[in-house]
This record gives sequence, structure tokens and C-alpha cells, in this order.
Amino acid sequence: MNCQRPTAVKWHRAKCPRRRVAIGARAGSALVALVLYSAAACAADDIVVGASIPLSGPLAGFGSFQQWGYKRAVDEVNKAGGIAIDGKKLNVRLILRDDKTDPNVTASNTETLISRDHVTAILGSCTPVLVNAGALVAERHRIPLVTACDPLEAFKSVRKWSYAWDLFFHEPDLAAAPFRMLEAFKVQTNKRVAILHDNGPDGQVVGGQVWPEIAKSTGYEVVQNSSFPVDNTQFTSLIAEAKSKNADIALVDAITPQAVALRKQMASANFTPKVLVIEKGGEPVQFAQALGKLSDGVLVGGYWDPSFPYPGAADLAKAFEKETGQTSSQHIADSYAAAQVLLDAIAVAGSTDAQKINEAIAKTDKTYVVGPIKFDENHTSKLPIVEDQWRSGNTAVVWPSERATGKFLFPLP
Amino acid sequence: MAAQIASTRSLSVGAGSAGIVATALLLLGLGAMIFAPRVVGEYGTEIGFRALIYLTLAEAWNLLAGYGGLVSLGSSSFVGIGAYILMGMLNAGGFGIVTALTASGLGAAALAIMVSPAVFRLRGLYFTVGTLALGEALRLFMINVSYFGGATGIFLKSNPPPTEVLYVYAVALAGIATLVMEIYTGTRFSILLRSVRDDEDAASQVGVRAFRVKLLAFAVASLLMGAAGGLQALKLGAIEPYGMFGLQWSIDTLSIVIIGGLGVRFGPIVGTIFVIALAEALADYPELHLAMTGVILILVIRFAPKGLCGLGQDVCRLLIGRWDRPGMPRAGGALP
Amino acid sequence: MPSVELIASSLASGFLLGGILALTALGLSLVLGVMRLVNLAHGEFLIAGAYAGLFLVKYTGIDPLLGLLVIGGVIGLLALPMHQFLLMPLAGKGPEAPMMTTFGVSIILQNAFVLAFSADTRAIERDYANVALTLGPVTVAQIYVIGFAISASVVGAVHILIAYTAFGRDLRASAADADAAATIGVNVRRVHALTFALGAGCAALGGTLIGIAFAFTPVSGATYLLTDFAIVVLGGLGNILGTLIGGITLGVLQSIGGVVLGDGYRDLVGLALFLVVLAFRPQGLLAASRS
Repeated sequence: MNCQRPTAVKWHRAKCPRRRVAIGARAGSALVALVLYSAAACAADDIVVGASIPLSGPLAGFGSFQQWGYKRAVDEVNKAGGIAIDGKKLNVRLILRDDKTDPNVTASNTETLISRDHVTAILGSCTPVLVNAGALVAERHRIPLVTACDPLEAFKSVRKWSYAWDLFFHEPDLAAAPFRMLEAFKVQTNKRVAILHDNGPDGQVVGGQVWPEIAKSTGYEVVQNSSFPVDNTQFTSLIAEAKSKNADIALVDAITPQAVALRKQMASANFTPKVLVIEKGGEPVQFAQALGKLSDGVLVGGYWDPSFPYPGAADLAKAFEKETGQTSSQHIADSYAAAQVLLDAIAVAGSTDAQKINEAIAKTDKTYVVGPIKFDENHTSKLPIVEDQWRSGNTAVVWPSERATGKFLFPLP
Repeated sequence: MAAQIASTRSLSVGAGSAGIVATALLLLGLGAMIFAPRVVGEYGTEIGFRALIYLTLAEAWNLLAGYGGLVSLGSSSFVGIGAYILMGMLNAGGFGIVTALTASGLGAAALAIMVSPAVFRLRGLYFTVGTLALGEALRLFMINVSYFGGATGIFLKSNPPPTEVLYVYAVALAGIATLVMEIYTGTRFSILLRSVRDDEDAASQVGVRAFRVKLLAFAVASLLMGAAGGLQALKLGAIEPYGMFGLQWSIDTLSIVIIGGLGVRFGPIVGTIFVIALAEALADYPELHLAMTGVILILVIRFAPKGLCGLGQDVCRLLIGRWDRPGMPRAGGALP
Repeated sequence: MPSVELIASSLASGFLLGGILALTALGLSLVLGVMRLVNLAHGEFLIAGAYAGLFLVKYTGIDPLLGLLVIGGVIGLLALPMHQFLLMPLAGKGPEAPMMTTFGVSIILQNAFVLAFSADTRAIERDYANVALTLGPVTVAQIYVIGFAISASVVGAVHILIAYTAFGRDLRASAADADAAATIGVNVRRVHALTFALGAGCAALGGTLIGIAFAFTPVSGATYLLTDFAIVVLGGLGNILGTLIGGITLGVLQSIGGVVLGDGYRDLVGLALFLVVLAFRPQGLLAASRS
């Protein structure tokens, strides 16, 4: 294979393809070697916990809360000396990867965490689609995975999990909350309900099944039940229908961009129901910031508030606001708790063996910052639901009365 | 159609023994990679799987856009269709993986054939925009129609095979893609396609059946993309419209081929290795990674229109510079 | 069977909304018609305008509608270096290279927005955006009427600019035949640069309206990009008034689709229409492409 004196036509074919292949092969093998080396060089004396979370893309807001919650739990454990494995106290190392709100990336991140970084256990991503992607990988490799941020019915509907554990709210509870609240407060409405929900996994469960059922069983009339794609931008027909059906109660399940657009379009269509619930999208503070006055009175189900009587609740919110300068969100609590559950289980197991840790998670029975956590046979643990209401850019818990921190505004301003 | 193709299968101008040697080396390399899992461990296998999927997509897109001049932003349509077909078949039960993957590929090719009368009316940038719209329309359709699971998607009922097995499938698929490219570049079809790319009207006038030529390239490329999509779905175990019909498939494929070298035989490989390596290296710096991809894309387009492969060629030419006598017509780089 | 009010209101809303969408598409049509450039970063120019409007009102209290010219000017100016350094050097290299470059810019811009402004959903909150106007059976959002008025004015202004001024003449000449235009002394490069800036500015105006009427995130641009392509194709490349008509047509058809099939199918109807028109009459429904 020597470089003959090539003519213009033959030279690049005779010489370069082979050469390029050779060069490519050498570069490729160098790359592989580098990867192997770095894999082997990973420290063997840390407990490695991995997480793939959405730090960019549409769900970046959730991801940043998760990041804070996970990190805090790990830092606290390390500050207390670490976890004892086979008698020796080891530090916990948390590896976070960004899955860019793409389930394909969650899956490959989780695989990398398991195969390259040799994680002992995994913390989940956020929203059913992403959590599923990571959990399926963890199941396949038999690595325990604890997650929050995944509604329980959506979690259960995928499969019977062996290694994945979820602590979050149960969609039926969330869906029932507004109705129970209305009964408790005995407010006067015409009992006509319009349901507008996206066709994502939890949107379909909450809006498509549970809300209609509960409405019927508590004597409310569902005058409209419309679904729309998760990234829809125009809601004129839906809103016009709700208005024409004269619904006093509007129940919405959509993510924040859609929730904001929907609320604005309701206002500009002159549709003002007496009670407006916006699940999911109505929860983060950006909702209120984007809408200003229009967000007042909007109800949204919540599963945590710093005022809850659980250990460390108020302090957690304060610490978050001090460290980040942002308004605290309930998502710091469930991610913090999920990480704690996992770390406690590792401590109980006293080993990095996946099976032992998994069994220890199964035996969890303790009250964390989100409340009592105990997993049932479906690997789920329910968080209690309260109903929050926005006023002047802040939320107050309005129901149940034992937890209430503010008065219920009725009707919608 | 098959008879026509068979009759054009003559090793004629442009083939040369070196092309076959290169492909043989590639296939040997791929074959060797089957044993790689034992050497590089699980992480390497997973990276390898991802790289092979991208390689298949890149080869297919290179055929379509590089050699055929049909710059498509609708790769996601075929990846998605392949994914859903595989899921459907495996969930229905009674079909093996190879059957399901074949069906994925054929289904995607069928989609390509179905839209081709409309899509091939469009030339140049209209074609590009049209394929983009097609991909998006399919995604919206899948989201809205609950029969296919809507936004929730579908889950694989059984357990997917272990990574090593999936990896072997990926190697096989990449091998098929390589063979396809070899067959393509080694036959008269390459000239036909090139003529259509360079000037479709002139080619039609000298008797090239432009529509059929484009259709063949489109169908073959879509078949490969569909099979790759099916394999990815098998790996994931759960699919939904945003992940499988999402624009990121079209974007990633395009980026890989452009960075590696559009219309260059080894562009896809070089591009895949580069992009995967970059992704892994910057995995912990996500904003940096995404911005870098954009920047590299722009830089490559501006300064290295033939991609990294073209740069490599220039380096090659520099190294053997003295044989490149002035006045000698340089055979650019567009030839396979 | 939906009521008369519902249908009438939907059609009216669709009509007005279509006009607003036409403004978002105007820039794309200009650039496509004159420079034969598929600007895949167009959606991001829209969003840049929306952010500009948001921060204008936040930091200076000036209503974005009053500051529209400023917003358009700023974004247009910012687009100039992009054209100068990224697109002009690719002038002779075929249509794909500039398109891919704008693609790269789109990726960079989206991430820049996330980095700079966070991924939070934003909306420009204005009181006049939350009011409904009722005339008989028809109820529409007031902001739609305002937006339509603005959009029609801008489209009209641009049309006058192109049909009756010297710059417009140069622009039309460059669009018809760039080489011939160059030989008669038109500075084609300058025309292209200014056209690009004008396109970006118009996009920014459309984006501000979107920000006031709806909500936006760093990644919302992509959805509008496709809708805008549909409008451009409907109206004919580079046909300014055609863009307005194309937008209105799309808006009305989307409304019909929304009423008949459900709001979820609006975008799909738009895309399907786009594909159909593209397949059978790619030069646009209003074929005479007078810029």
C-alpha cells in the first residue's frame, strides 16, 4: 500500500479511503481506550448515586428543583460522616446528568450511569415519560430507583415494578380534592362542570377518567369534557363551548405554557367561572408571574407546603430561598425526600448490594419532610393532597381546614 | 423494478477496487465489533449501540441528501413509524424480533412511497420544508389519535432483550446500511442519482426516470431509518410521540452528516464518532453541548463544506501535496 | 351542534388571529422571496421580539405596542451582523448551506434564551389583552382586534415600502434576478442585508403581539415557524399582501377545524393544508408573485 504516483481521478480513491479508514480506526480505538481508562479510574471508595433530570428543555424548571433537593440530601448525609458500608463510613457521590426533557436521553443517561459510573442506585427524573424511560433501564439492570415527580397511577400503569419506587400524589386524590373542598365550604354553584385537559398520561387519567367519575358521584353535571394536545396554543373553541354551556366550575389539567395561554384566553373571551382549578401548570410560580392579576383565585392541588407539620418542612423552604434567591416550590420537598429515602435504605442495608438496598427500600416506614412514607405492594407511596389558591403571586393552602393558611376566595376574582 | 435494478448492476465507471476494499474493511470492522462487548464492557456496548443507530440513520440520510440532493428534515417520520410498528407487532405477539424489525423498515418504506408523489413535486427548499411539515404533521396526528396511545404512547409488554443482543442487531443493521451504500456506489444507480441531483430536468431529458430514481433512494433510506427506529423502540421499551416523532431525530441525523461530510462516503462514520464523542464529553455541561453543536454546525458549513472528512481530505492532500500537480483537474470530493 | 354564537365567534376570531399570524409570517415571506433563504431561525426572531416586549414594559413601563417600532428596530439591527458574518459568506454555495446555518443559529438562540431568561413560561401582561368585545352574536378578544389592526398596518406599510420606494424597487429587482440587478447598479448585498433586517424586525413585531395575546417559552418559536411556512406558501413567496390573505385564510380554516374536530386538530389542519398546497401549487394560491 504505497503511494504510487496517482492520476487525479484515482489518487483519492487509491490512497485516501484506506488511509482515512486507518486513521479513523486508530482514532476510534484511542477513543475507546480513553473511555475504558476513565471508566476504570472511577473511584472505588464512594457510594455513587446517579440521576438523570431535565436541566434543559421545557421541563428545566422542575429539573432545577430536583437538582437542589437531591443535592441537599446527599450533602447532609456527607456532612454527618457518610454512610457505613460493611463497617466503613463512605461518602456519597451524586452524579447528575441532563436529559434535555428527551426520554431517549434519559434512557441513555441512565445506562451510562449504570455501566460507566457504576452507580449503586438511581434517583428518578420528572414526569411519567422521562421517569419511565429511566426506570425501565434500571429495572432491566436490576438497580434500585427511587423517584418522585411521577403521579402514581401513571407509574403503576407501565408495569409491575421490581426495582423502581415512586412517592408522589395519587391522581384520584388530586382530582377529588376540589370537589371535597367545594362540599366542605358549601359554596353555591350551578353544579355545572367543564373539564379541559391535555392528552398526556396524567391529563387523560385526571381529566378523562377521574374528574368525570367523581363529578357524577358527588352530584355535579359534566357539561363538557374536552382534551387537547399537550402543546396546543389556541383554546378558543374549547372556551367558547364552556362559556356557552354556562359552566360555573372549570377544571383544567395542562402544563404551564398552556395553562397561562388558556387563562388569558378565558379572560379575553369573557369566560369567568366561579371556580377555576388549573392542575399541573398552575402550580409553579412562573404561572403567577406570567399572569399577574389573572392568576388570583386559581386553585391548584398541592402535595406540600412549608407550613406542613413534618420534620424540617419550614426550614427546607427557607434554606432554598436563601441559597437560590428563588421562591420555594413543593418540588424541592419530594425530591429531597426521595433522595433521603434512598440514602436511608442504603444505610439500613449497610451494603452496596442492589438486592439488599431494594429490600431496605421496601421496608421504609418513616416520616419525612413530605409526610409518612411507606411503600405498598405496587411500590408507591401516597402524598397527602391539599388545595392551594393563588393570590397576589403567592399560594395559600385553603383546604383542608386543618392545614389552611389562608381564606378561600370565592368566586374567582 | 427489481429487474431494472439488476440490469444496472454493473461495476462501471467510478467503482474501482479500492471502494470494495474500503467497504470490506468496514464490514470486517463491524464484524469485529460484535465481539467488542466482551472487551469494552457494558458502557462501551451502550455507546456502541447508540453510535450504530446513528450511523445507520446517517448513512441513510447521506444517501438521500448527500448523493440524492434531497435534503429532508423529516427523518423523524420514518424513525417514528418504524418504532410504532415494532411495538405494535411485538405487543400483538407471535412475531420474532427480526420479523418485527423488517416490518418496521418496510412500513417506513411504504410511508415513503405513499408520500412520494406529493413530496417529489417539490424541489429544493420546498422539499425540505415539506418534509419538515410532514414530520410535524405525523407527530401531531399520533398525539391526537388515541388508538396509538396518544401522548401516553405504548409500552412493550414483554421484556426487551439484553443490551448485548440489541447491540448485535445494531451491528447487523449498520452492516446492512454499509452494504447498501456499497451497492449504491458500485452501480450505475449512483450516476443516475447524481444526475438527478445535479439537474433533474436535464437528466429527464436524456432519459433518466427521475421519479423512479428518487423514489428508490427515498424508499431505501426510509427503510433503513424505519428499522433503526424499531431497534431504538425495542431498546427503550416505552415510546410516545414526542420522543419518537420528535424533531431531534431529524436534527441529530442532519448534524452528524453535515459535520462528517455531506455526500462523502465516510462522512456518516466520521460524523457519528465525532458527535457521540462530543456528546459524551460534554454530557455534564448540557448548555455547552447544545450550543456547541450549533456553533460547530455553523463553522463546518462556513469553513468546511465537505465536513470533517473534507478537512481530512485537505490534510491528506497537504501531506501528499507534491503529487497534486497544478493544472491537474482535482476530483473534488463528491465522488463516492 | 354548536351554536350560532360559537361558530360566528370562532370564525371572527380565526379571521383576526390569522391577520396577526400573517404579521409573524411577513418576515419569512420577505426573506424567502427576495433572498431565497429558508430562515429556520425565524421562530427565534419571533421569540426575541416577545422577550424584548416583555423587558421593555418591565424595565421602562412603556407599553410594548407603543414601543413596537423600537422593538422592531432593535431586533432588526441585531440581525444585521448575523447576516453579515454568517450568511453573506455563503452567498454562492447553493440554498442548503444558508438554511443549515440558520438552523444552527436557531439551536444556539434557543439555548441562549434558556440560559439568559430561564425556561419559564412568560406572558406580557396588559390589561387590554384580557377584555372581550361583543358585537351581536360575535365575541372576540379585544387584543385580536388590536393585533389585527397593527398587523394590517404593518403589512400595508411594508407593501408601500416595496411597491413605491427606491429601496423597494431595488428589492424587487434583486428578487427577480440578482445578477441582472447587480449589473444595473443595485447593491444586492446591501439590499439583502436590509431585507434580512426588515424580516427580523417584522418577526419581532409579530412576536410581541404573540407575547401580549398568548404565552411563550424559549422553544415556542418552532411551532410558529411551521405555521408561518404554511402562510407564506398559501400567500405566495414574497407576496406581501398575499401573506395577509394567506394568514387570514389559514386562521379561518384552523377555526373551522377547531370547531368541527376539536381545538387539538387546529395545528394539524394547518399542516395538512400546507402539505396539500405545497403538493399542488407550491408557488402559492395567489400565484402572481409581485413582491
